[in-house]
Amino acid sequence: MPEPMPKPMPKPLIEARGLHVAYPGRAVIEGLDLALPARSLTALVGPNGCGKSTLLRALAGLAAPRAGQVLLDGADIARIAPKRLARRVAMLPQGPIAPEGLSVRDLVRQGRYPHRPLLGGWSTQDADAVAEALRLTKLEDLAERPLDALSGGQRQRAWIAMTLAQGGEALLLDEPTTYLDIAHQEEVMALLRRLVDERGATVVAVLHDLNQAARFADRMVMMKAGAVVAEGSAQEVVTPARIAEVFDLPVIVAPSPVDGAPMAIPTGAGA
Amino acid sequence: MSRAALGPALALALVGLALASLAIGDRAIPAAELLGALAGDRASAPASAMIVLDLRLPRVALAALAGAALGAAGAVAQTVMRNPLAEPGLLGINAGAAVAALAGGLWLHGLPATLTPWFAFAGALGMAAAIWGLSWRGGTSSIRIILVGIGLNAMAGAAAAFISLFAEITALQRMQAWLAGSVAQARWETVWPLAAWTLPGLALALAASRELDLLAFGAQTARALGQRAQLAAGLAVALCALLAAAAVAAVGPVAFVGLIAPHLARRLAGPSHLARLPAAAASGALLLMAADLVGRTAIAPTQIPAGLLTTLIGAPFFAWLLWRGRHA
Repeated sequence: MPEPMPKPMPKPLIEARGLHVAYPGRAVIEGLDLALPARSLTALVGPNGCGKSTLLRALAGLAAPRAGQVLLDGADIARIAPKRLARRVAMLPQGPIAPEGLSVRDLVRQGRYPHRPLLGGWSTQDADAVAEALRLTKLEDLAERPLDALSGGQRQRAWIAMTLAQGGEALLLDEPTTYLDIAHQEEVMALLRRLVDERGATVVAVLHDLNQAARFADRMVMMKAGAVVAEGSAQEVVTPARIAEVFDLPVIVAPSPVDGAPMAIPTGAGA
Repeated sequence: MSRAALGPALALALVGLALASLAIGDRAIPAAELLGALAGDRASAPASAMIVLDLRLPRVALAALAGAALGAAGAVAQTVMRNPLAEPGLLGINAGAAVAALAGGLWLHGLPATLTPWFAFAGALGMAAAIWGLSWRGGTSSIRIILVGIGLNAMAGAAAAFISLFAEITALQRMQAWLAGSVAQARWETVWPLAAWTLPGLALALAASRELDLLAFGAQTARALGQRAQLAAGLAVALCALLAAAAVAAVGPVAFVGLIAPHLARRLAGPSHLARLPAAAASGALLLMAADLVGRTAIAPTQIPAGLLTTLIGAPFFAWLLWRGRHA
C-alpha cells in the first residue's frame, strides 16, 4: 500500500497512528491519526466528553491503546519503559492532588523520580534541574512555602515546575487553566508560551477556552466524538461553520483588537 | 519542635519509657540494681536481676517491637490507600492474621513461636488480597477498600470466635488473652521471631520510602512520573501485611496503634516517608509500651491487656478523626 505524502510541516515529535482507546464497554477514540510538531504549543480543544483528555493520556503512555500506536520520535512508546518515557514526556493531570504539608520544593523534587535509581542519592544534576525549574516558573522565593499556602496560579506553576524538573522535551497538560481566575490563567499560558519560545519545549495542552487557545497556541486540534475534525493554525480552525458543527453553537468570529487572533463570540441565537 | 530535634527526642522518650517500665511494677527496682542488671550483673541482686532480665525486659522488647511494626504498617497502609482511616486493624488485616494463627494452632495442637508468624503472614496476605480483589472494579478507590475491609474484619472476628469453639478450655483461656492483644506472656522465644520479622520489614519500608512518597500522590501522578503504580501499591500492601502479621503473631490483634501512631508521625515528621516511617515506628512502640505499663500497674495485681487500653484510647480517637473529617 503506498504511503500518503507527508504534509509539509515541522518534523513531528509525537505521532498517533490509527489510535483506538476504549474504557470498559465504551470506545472513546476510534482510528485517530495526529502528528504533533516539535518546539510548538498545540492546543487540544473540543466539547466535554469528546475524548481530548483520553487522547492526551494516550499520548503520554498512560492509557494503553486497544489498537494503533503512539510514536515518540518514531519509536512506539508502548515499548519504552515507564521511567525512561517519563524522562522525555511529562504529563500533568487535571486537578492533581499533593499530600498534605508538602512544600513547593518537595513537590518539584518529585519530578526527579524517573532519573533516580531505586536507592540512589540526590545528585547535582537533580539539584540543578530543580533549581532551573524553580527559576523558569519564578518560584524561587516561594520554594519553602507549603503548597496549601499558595494562590491557585502559583500552585499550578509549582506543578508545572515539577514536570519541568523531569527534564523532558515534551510537556502534556490536561486543562492547566481550569479553575483559575483570568489573571492566573494568563500567567500559566504566558509561562507555557515562554517554555516553547525560549526553551524549545513541545507543549500540548487541553484547553476549554477557544479564544485563549487561539491567542497562545501555534496550532489547534479540534476534536468531536473521539475524532479530529480540524487541525492547523487558529485562523484555519476557528471558523463560524466549524464551531456551529462541533459545539452546536452559533458564533461570529472577529479578530482580536490586541493581536488579531480569531475570537469566537456567541451570537445568542442558539440559546 | 524542630524536625531536626525529632529523632533524638523520640529516642530519648523510648529509652526513658523502657527504663521506667523495667523499674516500675509489683516490685519496684532501685536504679542502681536496674542498671547493674542491665550491665549483666546477676550476682549482687539476683532477684531484681531475674525480674528485670527474664520477666520485664522481654515484655518491654515485645511491646516496643510489636508497636513499631503496627505503627509502620499503619503508616504504609494510610499512604497506599490514601486514606487517614486506613489501618491494618480496621481493614481486617490484623484479624486475618489472627484467624490464620488460631487455625494453625488448633490444627497443629499449639504453634511453636517461630512458626506462628508464617501462619499470620499467610492470613494477613490472604486478607489483603481479598480486600483488594473484592474492591476491584478495573481500579480501586480508597473508600471502597475501607468498606470492604471493615466488612471482612467483622467476618474474621466471627471466624475467630468459631474456631475457638473447638479449643480445649486451657488453650481457650490463653487464646482469649492473646485475642485481646496482650504482651503479658512475653518470653524471649516470642521476642526473637518478632524481631526477625519486624526489623527487616522496617528496613524494607525505609528503602521504599521514595516509592511511598510518590504513591501518596495517587496513581495518576505517580504513573505520569514513571512509577509502576499498581505494582508499587501491591508490594506496599504486602509489606504492610508482613509487618502487621509479625506483630499479631507475637501479641495478638492489638487495635488502633496502627491508626494513632501514623497520625502522630504525620504531625511530627511531615510528608517525607524517610522521616515519617521511623517516627511512626517509634510512636507505635511508645504507645504499646505505655499501654502495657499502665495496664499492669493501674489496678494491680489485675492486669489489663494492652490491646484493651489501646482500644480505649483509639476508639474515641477514631471517632474524633471521623468527626473532624466531616467538618473539614
